[in-house]
Amino acid sequence: MSSPFSPEGVAKQLDYCTYCPKMCRLACPVSNASARETLIPQAKMDTLNQLRRGRVPWSEPAAEPLWGCTGCRHCTVYCEHDNEPGLVLFSGRAEATSRGVGHPRLTDYPARFRNRDERLAERVREHVPRDRLGADTTVTFFPGCDAIDKAPEGISKALSLFDAATDDRVQVADIGRACAGYPLLAAGYPDMFRWHAAKVAGDLKRARTAIVGCSACVYTMRTQYAAEGINVSTEVLSVPEFLADRISRTPKRNRGESVYYHDPCYLSRYAGVVEAPRRVLAQIADVREFSWSGVDTVCCGGGGMLPKTMPETADAMAAQRLREIAQRGGGTVVTSCGTCSYMLARNAPRGVEVTDLHAYVADAAGAQPSPDATGDRAPGAEPSAPKRPSSTSDAP
Amino acid sequence: MTRPAIDSDRLARALRPIVGDDRISAKETDLTTYSRDMWPRLLISIREGTPLPHRAHLVVWPETVGEVAEIVRVARSQGVPIIPYGGGSGVCGGTVPVKGGIALDLKRMSAVAKIDRDDLICDVQAGANGEHFERELATRGYTFGHFPSSIYVSTVGGWVATRAAGQMSSKYGKVEDRIAGVTMVTGRGDIIDTDGLARSHRGPSWTQLLVGSEGTLGVITSARLRVSPAPELRVLRGYSFPDLIGGIEALRRIMQRGLRPAVLRLYDEFDTLMNALSGGGDRAPADIRHHHAPSPPAGAGALPRVPTQSADVEERSGLLGQIVGQLVPKDRRRGLTQSLRRELVAATLSRPRLFNNVAGPVASRGLRRGCRMIVGLEGSRVRTETEARLTFGELERAGGVDLGEEPGRRWLEHRYSVSYKMSPAFRAGAFVDTMEVASTWERLVDLYRSVRAAIAKHALVMAHLSHAYPEGCSIYFTFAGYADNQKHAEKLYDELWRSGMEAATRAGGTISHHHGVGLLKSLHMREEHRESMAILEALKASMDPDDIMNPGKLGLSAGGLS
Amino acid sequence: MTARVARAPNLGEELEAIVGHGHATDRPAHLAEVGIRAAASEPATWLVRPGSGAEIAEIVRLANRRHIPVSPVGAAARPPAALGAAEAGILVDLRRMSHVLHLDETSLVVHVQAGLSAHALEHILAPRGLSLGDFPPAILASTVGGMLSVRTPGKSSPRHGFIEEAVLGISAVLGDGRSIHTRVAPRRATGPDLARALCGSEGTLGFITSAVLRIHRRPEARFLSAHHLPDFEAALSAVHLAMREDAAPAALRVYDERQARAGLGDGAVRPGGAVLLAATAGPTDLAACDRDLIASSASALGGTPIAESFAETWWRQRTGREDSPSAALPSLQVSARPSRQAAVHRALRAAAAEAGIEVCVYASRFDPYGAVLFVTLIDPSTGEALGAQAEDAARGAIERAAEQAGAALLGAVPPALTPYFEDMRRRLDPAGIMNPRALASGSE
Repeated sequence: MSSPFSPEGVAKQLDYCTYCPKMCRLACPVSNASARETLIPQAKMDTLNQLRRGRVPWSEPAAEPLWGCTGCRHCTVYCEHDNEPGLVLFSGRAEATSRGVGHPRLTDYPARFRNRDERLAERVREHVPRDRLGADTTVTFFPGCDAIDKAPEGISKALSLFDAATDDRVQVADIGRACAGYPLLAAGYPDMFRWHAAKVAGDLKRARTAIVGCSACVYTMRTQYAAEGINVSTEVLSVPEFLADRISRTPKRNRGESVYYHDPCYLSRYAGVVEAPRRVLAQIADVREFSWSGVDTVCCGGGGMLPKTMPETADAMAAQRLREIAQRGGGTVVTSCGTCSYMLARNAPRGVEVTDLHAYVADAAGAQPSPDATGDRAPGAEPSAPKRPSSTSDAP
Repeated sequence: MTRPAIDSDRLARALRPIVGDDRISAKETDLTTYSRDMWPRLLISIREGTPLPHRAHLVVWPETVGEVAEIVRVARSQGVPIIPYGGGSGVCGGTVPVKGGIALDLKRMSAVAKIDRDDLICDVQAGANGEHFERELATRGYTFGHFPSSIYVSTVGGWVATRAAGQMSSKYGKVEDRIAGVTMVTGRGDIIDTDGLARSHRGPSWTQLLVGSEGTLGVITSARLRVSPAPELRVLRGYSFPDLIGGIEALRRIMQRGLRPAVLRLYDEFDTLMNALSGGGDRAPADIRHHHAPSPPAGAGALPRVPTQSADVEERSGLLGQIVGQLVPKDRRRGLTQSLRRELVAATLSRPRLFNNVAGPVASRGLRRGCRMIVGLEGSRVRTETEARLTFGELERAGGVDLGEEPGRRWLEHRYSVSYKMSPAFRAGAFVDTMEVASTWERLVDLYRSVRAAIAKHALVMAHLSHAYPEGCSIYFTFAGYADNQKHAEKLYDELWRSGMEAATRAGGTISHHHGVGLLKSLHMREEHRESMAILEALKASMDPDDIMNPGKLGLSAGGLS
Repeated sequence: MTARVARAPNLGEELEAIVGHGHATDRPAHLAEVGIRAAASEPATWLVRPGSGAEIAEIVRLANRRHIPVSPVGAAARPPAALGAAEAGILVDLRRMSHVLHLDETSLVVHVQAGLSAHALEHILAPRGLSLGDFPPAILASTVGGMLSVRTPGKSSPRHGFIEEAVLGISAVLGDGRSIHTRVAPRRATGPDLARALCGSEGTLGFITSAVLRIHRRPEARFLSAHHLPDFEAALSAVHLAMREDAAPAALRVYDERQARAGLGDGAVRPGGAVLLAATAGPTDLAACDRDLIASSASALGGTPIAESFAETWWRQRTGREDSPSAALPSLQVSARPSRQAAVHRALRAAAAEAGIEVCVYASRFDPYGAVLFVTLIDPSTGEALGAQAEDAARGAIERAAEQAGAALLGAVPPALTPYFEDMRRRLDPAGIMNPRALASGSE
């Protein structure tokens, strides 16, 4: 059988989706939040199928449904054809963009991406002591763009955990780049991605291990770099994987709190990271589960450029994700992805606090006493506080 | 394309004050999506690239029952049809906007209210997705017990509107058996509730007059459904019977003894064979499959290319592949070229009579497979254990051979898999569909034989019996047909349905057990109900005097595809 | 309209031409037999006894031509509104239409004419080991047509549900004389259940001529049991708990202290207590299982088993084999959902106390959706049931209190749906001849 991503394989995926009685609809967070039938995976794939067959001419409005996907892969859990609508739709975006009918809000995206990436790379230097920055260490920390942009104070908390967990001196990657390049793929610019990825991979080459704070970056570096033929010899680990591998040296001090863990899609469904964060958290708190969790987790709305292309829907997704916790009387939600953490926090209802795994563990351990470290960036605490405009986020 | 003179702009202007800009769409992509459901006849058009014949003028997403009422009033004042839309999972064209109008998507109304412990009634809004609803109940310790193979797709409102049935209906009943009341916005624009203890109200049971109305009387916005405590115990078993009649007799005895297994599925010889061939079990669970996301091979590029039409190559898999596989000796299968395979599919399905015989009773005798039955019981521990003992005893007395737990467990794991088999068949150039009829036990074997014979002239056909009652049972036919072009395929499809429906009526069965009527069976409603249609017509005229609610359906006015 | 009837010289002849000699009468003595207070003078009231659905269709067509009402008379008591004093028109008595048309023992389905009494049907079924099922014996007094077309309380069984759910098909004559036969299937998905339009519609949408009903094999075993509970509400809770556990008993009854003393004797109950009586039926093991589920539910609510003989007494009274000492009809009946039953019980007791009277209460006709509370008002000075006048005076306040606590009063027509019903009626019966006084807007 040919590869699912060969031209024949993709054609088959598109046809199978077109003829399928929508069996994955329950799992598509974008269509669940918008209730728009055109955004269920089956309809989006059908849209692309009709475009590629030339039955519908390529145009911005005709290609618009292709942008209603966060690439969260939840649909694949329910697909017995093993289709991959996320990646196929991203291909469709690239095709639309190359035909000049990409998303109108993303026409100058590569330039904006570059600017932001440079700005954030600069920003890391403001928040991290000089001696913790470096371009060539054995173990490097790559926080990811949203972590730098929205929660820079968390970086030093992460470092404190790493210091306890390993004898290696972990340094924050100071390579002039903050992002592994996933947004370029999701925005329909695979060529720009290839160029960017090659640079990042080259700069990280000297590290034996890269601890990566962004779930999409983990996936991108592990999987998509290889697909582009970029050889990554560096071991890429998410923060929870790195800590779980050194569980005897991660904080252990159960304060009797219970927290919910939100699985980032790009960790659970792309990289199989489900147990590691729970092991780390269980050392300091009782871990409670969302009714949809693990590989069945529900996306926060931050993926696939959705905050740029359909910002209201993206926010609605995050709000919907947390509604269950509010209904159960509120609580703390921990996650291990800068983007999830940002999306969830800005849409958190009253009584729900959202925090990053490394910040929560570090705070709980008292490794770096900082009583209101989590409080000051949980808009949920002040429900009337105006939301930060999502356009400041170039989150995946 | 039929698009009656409706002024979309004027309509949108009137609706905007009710729902705002964001919840109205006139986008081409949306109008295309909402122009169909999962009716297989439409998939033939879609495969061949012919535009679908009907389109809505607007899609509207209400969020409250009050908004629905206002929308209905606007539609009424402008004479515009409204087509309530849930999951769009229907297989009879029930949501096709034959006269244009407003596709009213109810999925923004999906709240599940609190459940009273004693009443065991749950008030749920029409737009709630089936699987979401069932999981929500599970977290609270309940189940609705309704597991249609469309549960991932369909909505509660759709279930109520079509009198749906789930795979565990022998215990929990169909939706109409589990409903205490509905809230509906009628075609006059009033909001009505039909709750109340049936026996304490005089006049007819309004709930039973609105359930099954398929959007033709009004918009069902919520329903009070009877839930059960989540089962403490579930027991599953497979049995084998020498032939279908023996199995049917066993089903009848179980139900008439007052036993209520949740699952009772009896497959005819051909379906048993296909089940055995489909294997299942070869797909890893989601948590393992997701350990590493599949990606393009190294160096192939992070994003695959969008293929052109030339990439469309047939694969031998799924239903048709199995048929072909069965008909070609194993040592020769590997050597078949793609095109030869396609020819084989065509050859098989173009001679349905021959192959129905080969694959049906003949195959069964040759392979000694007999008929497979899946039995499952669930509920409170003590009662379920007792009921299971009695049920298994009854099956053995009826000549069933116990196959152990494995077939039952496998069925449970793959119980929604059938819905995934449409894609390969359609891609291979065939069409597949299902026909679910029902009758009392006395007529059931006749019904099976005559409907099977009617379909077998046109397509490869198999059947199972999966919803049993003390007084009768439904029969679920699955069939696959083939023709060399769209026109011929549609002609074959229509002819098949016409003869199947006529055979069902002649044999004293009903033309639909749980899929509903839609457009597909609209023309057969008069044969089904005959003079009783007068009551349905009076009901329609009273609830929807201007015929704006899903017009052209339920045999109420000239419908069907032009 | 009535004036035309009066002048019609040959209505009787025309009716006789349809139903045959001797089956149409306007003699006051004959009318009195069916409980009609006949007026000696005009307007004329004719009682006809048709022998087939075709004859009923003819009668309805005749009534259409002459614009005179056609109303059913049944075998049993009917709600007051269904029929009053004689009025101009045709009364149809179905006693000649009392045949079993088809008995399908394979499917356990019987097709019976509407004039057969349910009791007589049971007699026909019994020798074959068949039965309509465990419905309250009181409803068997009606004809099948009356049982289905008039909705009175308690036509329900915890084992089989509401009586209308046993209907698989209905034949009826519509207001224009058309005959309809809804087709039989165990379940269907071809639009609304049209047979259910005729059930409960009291001969207004159509005149039921025959029905296809589900029947049951006589259960292999039946167990009776009795439990004493600390109070009435605990006994209700025990019922709810058992039903949650999937128990499907054949019959259940809950007596308050006074009712228990009256029905079962002083030995059954302690002061303030209540008695739960249960019959379970089915395959022996399941019937025993249900009996045990009820016992453990009762025990969980502080109950203790008492002598089975109390249950046997109840069962004999229920099946008419023994006279019930409390033969007086209850003063009022209300239905309530499980969750409201306790509150309704409290409310009506409180309202009675406020009026200075006592009550005697029992709950029966349980099904998964609720039960009926039967209340007898007692004069505290005599300990006997209130006299009719006093009862009428007190009933209103108690009913209102029960209603406020969530009870449904029996016999109400849901007002929100009345316009729709009236509209259907006009369309199916444009001449307005079909039992015109029944189910009038807001009637009780």
